[in-house]
Amino acid sequence: MVNPSLLIGIPLAFSFVVPLFGLISKKIEKYIPIVALLINTAISFILIPQVLKKSIVVSIGGWSPPFCINLVVGPLGIFLATLISGVSLLISIYAVAYIKKEPTEKYHMLFLLLVTGAIGIVLTGDIFNLFVFFEILCVSSYALVAYNKDKEGAEAAMKYLIQGSIGSGFILIGIALLYGIFGTLNMADIANKITLANPTFLFISMAFLLTGFGVEAAVFPLNAWLPDAHSSAPSSISAILSGIAIKTGVYGIARMIYTIFNAEGILTFVAFLGLITLLIGEMSAFKQNDIKRLLAYSSIGQIGLVIFALGIATSLGVFAGLFQIVSHALAKALLFLAAGYMIYKVGSKSITSLNGLGKKMPLTSFAFTIGAFSLIGLPPFAGFISKFLIVYAAIQVKKPIFLAFIAIALIATVIEASYFFKIVQNLFFKESKNLKNITETSGYIVIPIIILTISIIVIGIHPQLITGLLKEAASELLGRGGYIAWVLGGS
Amino acid sequence: MSVIYNSMYYIASGGLILIGLYIVLVKTNLIKIVIGLNFIDTGINILLICIGYIRGKTAPIFSDPRIKSTSVVDPVPQALVLTAIVIGVAVLALALSIVIKVYEHNKTLNVTKIKGLKW
Repeated sequence: MVNPSLLIGIPLAFSFVVPLFGLISKKIEKYIPIVALLINTAISFILIPQVLKKSIVVSIGGWSPPFCINLVVGPLGIFLATLISGVSLLISIYAVAYIKKEPTEKYHMLFLLLVTGAIGIVLTGDIFNLFVFFEILCVSSYALVAYNKDKEGAEAAMKYLIQGSIGSGFILIGIALLYGIFGTLNMADIANKITLANPTFLFISMAFLLTGFGVEAAVFPLNAWLPDAHSSAPSSISAILSGIAIKTGVYGIARMIYTIFNAEGILTFVAFLGLITLLIGEMSAFKQNDIKRLLAYSSIGQIGLVIFALGIATSLGVFAGLFQIVSHALAKALLFLAAGYMIYKVGSKSITSLNGLGKKMPLTSFAFTIGAFSLIGLPPFAGFISKFLIVYAAIQVKKPIFLAFIAIALIATVIEASYFFKIVQNLFFKESKNLKNITETSGYIVIPIIILTISIIVIGIHPQLITGLLKEAASELLGRGGYIAWVLGGS
Repeated sequence: MSVIYNSMYYIASGGLILIGLYIVLVKTNLIKIVIGLNFIDTGINILLICIGYIRGKTAPIFSDPRIKSTSVVDPVPQALVLTAIVIGVAVLALALSIVIKVYEHNKTLNVTKIKGLKW
C-alpha cells in the first residue's frame, strides 16, 4: 500500500531540491515540478480505489489518533488532492515555457510549496496542522503574486498579504478558543465533544474560523484582494490561485460547518452569503475591460455558486457543489492559461486588443471558447451538469426562500453569459488590427490547454467518471459520525 | 479586582489584538500597517500561552524527580506558539520585502497615494 503522507512529502521534498538543481544547471530545474507532480498524481489515482473501500488514517509517531498528528484520507480529501495534483501538474507543464523571468528556480520552488500547502490542508486531520499548511499556502502565494516585481504585482501582493495575514490571525484565534474549550486539536475529537460545550463560546470560535477561511475563499465582504492579486500575478499563478487556492478556503469553510461544528442553523445564511458573492462577482466582471480582472471577478462569482450549493445542505446540493469545484477548477485554469498566452502574444490585457485573434490563434481561441461556455453552463460541457444539479437541488429543497435564491442565481448566470459571449464574439467576428506577426502557440503551452479542453468535454459527456467519488465525498461531509468513527476507531 | 487579576493575560492579549487591528485599519503608512500585523500576531501568541497557563505551576521539563505531571502547565500551547512565532517571522520578512518593492515603484509609503490598482 502506498502511504498517503507521500502526497504531502513529495512536493515538499522536491521543492527544496529545485534550487540545488538550479545551481548545477538551469535546464534541469524547470522540469522538477513536472516530475514531482506526476508522481503525486499517480499516487493519488492509485489511492482512490483503496480510499473508496475504506478510509485511510495515518497516525504519525505511533500514537493513537486523539494524541497524535494524523492525516485523514477520506473520499473528500483524496478527491481534492487528486484535483490539486492534476491541475497543478498541467500548470507546471505550461510554466516550463511561460516563465522566462529570472530567478526561475525560486518560482518553481514556491509553486511546489503552494501545492504542498494545498494538499496538506485537504488531507490533515489536526486543526493546528491545518493552520500551518494554510500559512504555507498563503506565504508562497503572496510571494508568487509579486513574482514579476512590477508595480502592480507589488501593490497587489501587499494588499493580499495584509488581508490574508489578518485572516490567518483570525483562524489562529478560533483555534486557540477551541483548544481552550476542549483541550484537544484533533478535528474528529473536537467534533465528537462539540455538544458538551457552551454554544456561545462555540459561536464566537466558529465566527473567527469562518471569517479567516472566508478571506482565502473570497466570500463577499472579504474579497477585495482577489481581483488585484489574480490579475497582477503571472498567468500560470493566476490559474493555480483561481483553480486551487481559493478552493482550499471553501474546503475549510465546509469542514468547519459540517464536520466540526455541525452548524445547521447558519446554513441558510451561508447560502445567502454565497448568493451575494455570486451576484457581486458577476456584476463586477461585467464592466471590466481587462481580461484577467474579468476572469478574477468571474472566479468570485463561481466560488459564490459553490458556497451557495454547500449551503443547500442536501446530499444532492453538496454533490453539486463539489461537481462545481471540479468544473470551475478545470475551466478557470484553462481560461487563465489560454488568456495568459494571448496576452503574452498581443502584449496588452485589454479585451478590445484581442479582436480578431480567433483567426491567428485558432487553437487557443477555441480552447478559451470551450472554457467560457463551460463556465456559463452550456451543454455538453462539465459546467452544464454542475449548474443544472445546483438548480435542481435548490428546487428540491421546497423552501420558498431557495426558489427566490435560485432566481437570483440564474440572473447572475445571464450576466455571466453576456460578458463571455462578448469576448468570444470579439475573438472570432471582429476585424483584427496590428496582429500581423502573431502565430499559433506550440510546444509546452499547447499540451495543458489541449488536456484541459478534452477533460472538460469528457466530463461533460461522461459525468459518471467522477460521480462515484463525488457521492462518497458528499456523504463524508454530511455524515460527520462516519468521519469521527474512522479517526477515533469505530468504538 | 480579583476578576482583573485572574484574567489579566486575556485582557492583555485581547488589547494587543485590538491595537493591532486599529493600526492596520487607521494608519496610512505601510510600515506602520506591517507593525500592526505584528501586534496581532503577538496578541494571538499571548492568548495561546495564557490558555495553557495555570497560576503557580512550573515549566513541563522533568529535570528534577520532585516535579510531578500534575504540577506543570500545559505544554501543547507553548509548542503551538513556537510554530506560530516562526510563521509570524516569515510573514513579517516577506511583508517588509514587499514594502521595499512598493516603495521602489511608488516612491511613497502612504497607502492613500498608491492607486495603481483602483477598485
